Amino acid sequence: MAKKSDSPPPAASPPAVSPPAEEVLREPAEVRYAQQLLALAQNDAETPPANWRLSPRSVLAYVVGGKTLKAKIDGKAVEVPITRKFFGDDGIVERAIVTLASERALLLIGEPGTGKSWLSEHLAAAISGTSTLTIQGTAGTTEEHIKYSWNIARVIAEGPRPANLIPSPTMVAMRSGGLLRFEELTRCVPDVQDALVSILSDKAIAVPELPDSNMVWARPGFNVIATANTRDQGVNELSAALKRRFNYIYIPIVGDQKTEVKIVQERSRELLERYNLPAKLTPSVIELLATVFREIRNGKSSDGVSLKKPTTTLSTAEAIGVALDSALHARFFGGGEVGPADIARNMVGVVVKEDQEDRDSLKEYATLVAKKRGVKEKAWKEFHDALVEQL
Amino acid sequence: MKRTQSTPADGFDLAELDSAEIARQVEAVLAEPLYWFGVRHHSPTVARHLASALASRRPKLIFIEGPYEANEVARHVVDAKTEPPVAIYTSYRDDDNVLGLNGVLSPAPEIPARMAAWYPLTAYSPEYVAMKSAAALGAEVVFIDLPHYALVERAGDAAKPPPPALDDDALVTTSGFYQQLAAAGGFKSWNEAWDTLFENPHGTDHEAFRRELATFCCAVRRTSNRSTEAALGTLPRERHFLKVIRETLAQRKIKPDEAAVVCGGFHLFLDRNDAEPPPTPPEGTVYSTVVPYSYFRVSEMAGYGAGNRAPQFYQSCYELTAAGRAGDIALEHAIAVLRQMRKGGEPLSTADAIAITHHAGMLAQLRGRSHTTLDDIDDALITCCCKGDPSDEGLKLRAAIDAASIGTKIGKVTPKLGRLPIVSDFYSEISELDLGEVLGKEKKLSVRLDKREPLAARRSALLHRLVFLEIPFAALASTGGDFAGTIFREDWQLKWTPQTEPALIEQNLYGDRVESAALNRLREAIAAASASAGDTCERLVRAVDMDLPDLVPIAQDAAGQAIDHDPAFPSLAAALRHLAVLDRYAAFQGTQRATIEALLVRCYDRACFALPGSAAVPDEEQKGVVDGLVSVADILQRAAPDRFDRALFADATRRAAEDSPVPFLRGAFLGLLCEIRELPAETLAAELSGLARAAPDLMITAGDLLDGMLAVSHTSIMLGADALVAAVDELLQAADWDSFLVMLPRMRAAIERLSPSHRNSLAECVAVRYGLATAAELRTVGNLAATALVARLDAATAAVLQDWPL
Repeated sequence: MAKKSDSPPPAASPPAVSPPAEEVLREPAEVRYAQQLLALAQNDAETPPANWRLSPRSVLAYVVGGKTLKAKIDGKAVEVPITRKFFGDDGIVERAIVTLASERALLLIGEPGTGKSWLSEHLAAAISGTSTLTIQGTAGTTEEHIKYSWNIARVIAEGPRPANLIPSPTMVAMRSGGLLRFEELTRCVPDVQDALVSILSDKAIAVPELPDSNMVWARPGFNVIATANTRDQGVNELSAALKRRFNYIYIPIVGDQKTEVKIVQERSRELLERYNLPAKLTPSVIELLATVFREIRNGKSSDGVSLKKPTTTLSTAEAIGVALDSALHARFFGGGEVGPADIARNMVGVVVKEDQEDRDSLKEYATLVAKKRGVKEKAWKEFHDALVEQL
Repeated sequence: MKRTQSTPADGFDLAELDSAEIARQVEAVLAEPLYWFGVRHHSPTVARHLASALASRRPKLIFIEGPYEANEVARHVVDAKTEPPVAIYTSYRDDDNVLGLNGVLSPAPEIPARMAAWYPLTAYSPEYVAMKSAAALGAEVVFIDLPHYALVERAGDAAKPPPPALDDDALVTTSGFYQQLAAAGGFKSWNEAWDTLFENPHGTDHEAFRRELATFCCAVRRTSNRSTEAALGTLPRERHFLKVIRETLAQRKIKPDEAAVVCGGFHLFLDRNDAEPPPTPPEGTVYSTVVPYSYFRVSEMAGYGAGNRAPQFYQSCYELTAAGRAGDIALEHAIAVLRQMRKGGEPLSTADAIAITHHAGMLAQLRGRSHTTLDDIDDALITCCCKGDPSDEGLKLRAAIDAASIGTKIGKVTPKLGRLPIVSDFYSEISELDLGEVLGKEKKLSVRLDKREPLAARRSALLHRLVFLEIPFAALASTGGDFAGTIFREDWQLKWTPQTEPALIEQNLYGDRVESAALNRLREAIAAASASAGDTCERLVRAVDMDLPDLVPIAQDAAGQAIDHDPAFPSLAAALRHLAVLDRYAAFQGTQRATIEALLVRCYDRACFALPGSAAVPDEEQKGVVDGLVSVADILQRAAPDRFDRALFADATRRAAEDSPVPFLRGAFLGLLCEIRELPAETLAAELSGLARAAPDLMITAGDLLDGMLAVSHTSIMLGADALVAAVDELLQAADWDSFLVMLPRMRAAIERLSPSHRNSLAECVAVRYGLATAAELRTVGNLAATALVARLDAATAAVLQDWPL
C-alpha cells in the first residue's frame, strides 16, 4: 500500500532551517535570502503549482532580481530589494523553472565553475523552501544513498518496520513534494545512476522489505535538479533511458568581460563580508583579473597574441577564488589593499594543477602579453614581475 | 509589400508620446471613408484579419503598397496557375545616363547603371491575400508604391551610391516607443515582440486587431527615427501613395468608401496635407515580371532581406488557424522538427513532442504571452532535445529547427507570363549540350571534361560563364588549370537547385543570354580591376575560359596597361601566374601566343623591378610577397633558359634582401636566392648563426628569419641541412630563456613548413650532431641491435638533458 506522505509546509512560511547567522560558516540560500523570499511570497499575485512556495514568475524574479518589493517582516513594513543571483541569459532560468514544473527532471551541465550548483541551490530554495535535500554524487555513491537504508541495530532487534527505515534525501523530497538536488550526477557509476530511472518515471520508490507499506509515492511538486560538469561527461555517461528523463540545460562560461567583472565584484564582496575581511579590492584590479582569465581561457589576448591554452578550466568561479585568496593574502601578509601582484601570486595554483605544462602557458602569457603591457601600465608591470617571480 | 532597401538611426523624443493624442489620431484615420488597413509583411495573422475585413467591406478598388511600375503584371500573381512563394521583380537600366550615375554605380561611364528590386509574396502575405480577395470580389488592384529607382539620388557635385538595404521593419526598431517597449517587455528581438503582440491565432475581431495595430504604429511613428525615415525614402513614397490614390479614385469615379488601402502600418499616419509632389521616376528601360521564389530565399537566413525568419512555420500557423486548429501550432511544429531529426537517425519519440509542446506552453505563460510563439517552441526544443551544449551537441537540432522552420517550398508562375529570355537560353543551352539529366535530379552530377574535344570545350565555356555569373548550378571540383598541371582537364559538380532560376533572372539586367550577360559582367569586372595587373589578368583567363573571344583583345589591352602601371610585386606575380596558364593553353591551341608571350615577358620584367619595393611591406602584405616570389621562381625554373632574364630576378631579389628591414622578408629573399641556386645554403646558415652573437633584441629576430627562409626554400636549403642545424644549435645555446620563448613560436612555425620527410632529415642531422646515432644506423639496425641502440640513445639523451635549463 502506498504510504501517506506528510503534508507540505504552507506557502510563504518561514524557512525550515534558520540557525543564527554567526553560528555557521555558510548559510543555505533559503536562510541567507529569507527576507527576499518572504517579500516575493507576500507579493505573489499568482497561484504557485502544488507544493511550490512561489509561483514560477516569482521564482524567476527571485533569481534574476532587479525589483524592490514592499513587505511586512516581523511586523514591520519594509522595502526589500531583490538581488540578482544568476548572471547570464534569463532564458536559461526560465527554461529551468519550466522544466521543474514539468514531468521531466532538470540537468544543469557546463564547465566547472559556471554556477550550476549555485543556480540549483537558489532554485531549490525558491521553489521548495529548502536547498539542503542534496545528494553529492561520487564514485562511492550507492543505491542506498539515493533510495533508503536501514537502522541495522533496530532491524536486528525488531525486523524491518517503517520506523526503522532511514529515508534518503530523495525520499524526503518525494514525501514533501520538494526538490532533490543531485550534485555531480555523472560521477556516480551507471548502476547507481539507474536507480533514478524508476524514481523519475514512476515517481515512486519501492520498499520490498515492508510488505504492508511497500511504496513511497512522490507528492506533487517533487522533482530533481542534477548537475554535471562537461569535463566529467565521459566518466559515467548517462544511459539513454535516464537522458530521456532529463531536460539538459547548458550553462555557458560567462560570455562577456563586463558581466564577468560584475560577477567577480559581487561575489567577492559577499565572500569578503562572510569572512569579515576588511581587504580592499578595487574595480581596476578585478578588471585586470578578469582580463587575465579571459585571455588565457580563450588562448588569445585582446591585442591578437595567440597563446597556449592551459588544460585547467578557468571559470568565473576560479577567478572569484583568486580574488578571495588575494584578499586573504593582502589582509594577513600585505597592506590590506589587493594589488596586481597579489593576483599574480595566487594565479599559479589555479592555472597549474595536474599538468605541469600549464606552467608554460602562464609563463608564455607573462612574457608575451603582461610584459609588453607592463612597459606602459604600472599595474601590468607589478602583475608581470610577481608572476615571473612565482614561476 | 516590402522591398529590399536601406539604413541608420538618430535620436527620438519620447515626450511626443501622448496617449490621448495617439487615440485621437488613430480614430481619425480609422474613421476615414477610405478604409485603411495597416499590415506587416508576411504576417499570417494580419493576412487572416485582412481577408476577413475585405470580405465584410467588399471594396471595388484595393490599393496595395506594391511596385507601381509592376501594375501590369499584378494579374499574373493571382493567376490560377501561379503558386506562391513568388516575387515581383522589377529592374531599371539607365541607358541615357539621365541619373548621371554611369561610372558611379557601374564600373565605367559607357556601362549603364542598373538597379533591381524584388517583392516576395507568400500565400500568407497580406498583400497577396488582398490580391486574392480582390480577385474573388471582382475588385481592381492598384499598386501605389514609388518605383524604387525614383529614390536614387542624381549625381551632383557629391554623387554618392544609394545607402545599404534596410527594410521597413527598421522604422519600428529604431523608434523610441519600440525601444522602450522592448526594454520593458524583455523582448530580445523585433520578431519576438511582434509575435507576442500581434500573432495571436485565437483573435477573431478584425476591427479590434486593425485598431490595436494602428495604435502601435501611431506610437512608433510619433517617436520614429528621422534618419531611418529619410534613408527609406518614407516621405517621397507616401507622397506617391497619395497621388496614385487620389488620381485613381478620380479617374475611376469611385467614392473613397468603396475603396481600401493595404499598406505598412507606419504609413497609415502619412501626412494627408503634404502638398509636395512625389519625385518623377527617371527615364530608362524598366522591366517587371513575376518569378518563382523559394522559402529559403524568403527566410532571413538567405540574407536577401524583405523576408521573415521562418516561412514554413508561419505558413503552418496560417493554415492551421484557418482550419480551426490554432491550438496545434506548437505540436505540429515540434513534430516537423522531430521528423527532420529522425531523418538524421536521432531516436526522438512522440513523448518528446508532447514534452516540447507542454514546455513551450509553460514558457509562454511564464513569459506573460497570451499564446505560444516560435521563440517559446524553439527554446522548448533546445531544452527537451538537446543533451548538451547547444553550440556543439545541438548543431543537428539547430539544423533540423531551421529546416522545419524555413521549409523547401518553391513557387510556380503561370505559363501565361512567359520565361525571361536568359532563362530560356539557359535551358536550351543545357539541352543542346546534353546536360539535361541534371535538371531531373536533386543530386549532384559529376562531369569530367577534356577541353580538346569540341563538345567538352562548349560545355566548359557554359559552366565557366554560369560560375562567373554566380548561378548556383555548377562548381569546378578540380582542374589542371595551373602551369604545373594538365590544363585541359576539368572536373565539375553540377546540381540544379530552386535558386538557379531566380539567380538567372537577376542576371537579366546584364543580357538576354547567358553569354551576353557573362560578357557584360566581365566587361564591368575588367573595368573595375583596371588598376591591378593580377586582377586584370585573372579576368583575361576568365575571358578565355568562358570562350568570349570578343573580350579577349579588350582584356589583353587592359592587362597590358595594368602591367605597365601596377607597382605592386604581389599583383604582378599573380598576373604572371595567370599569363603562364594562358601561354600554355595558347601554345597547345596554336593561337594568340605572340600577344601572350609579349605580355608575359613584360610582366616578368615589371615584377623584377617592383620586387625591391616590396622589401618593407606591412605584415598583412607579406604573405602576398612570399607567394609572388614562389610563383616567379617556379615560372623561371620551368621556362626555357633564354626566355626570361634570370639575372634580373636574382639581382632584384638580392637588392630586396639587402634593403629589407623585416627579418621574415629578408629570410624569404635569401631563401629564394638559395632556391634558385644563386646563394649556397651555407651562407643562409651563416646569416642565422650570426644572430647568435648579436644583442638579444636582434637575436630574437632569428625565428622570423628562419621562417622566411623556409617559406620559400625547401629543397635547396635541405642540401645544407647540416649547416642549418649547426646554426640553429648555436643560436639556441646562445639564447637566454626569455629570448628563446620569444623566438620559439616563429621557429616552430618555420619547421612546420617543411614536409615530414624534410623534418625527418633535419631530425637525423640533429641526432648525428649529438652523437646519438647515425642516420644509417637508425634505419638498419635489427631488433636486438635496435633495443641496444634505444637504450644507448636513452642514456645519452638523459645526459644531455641534465645540462639543459629546463
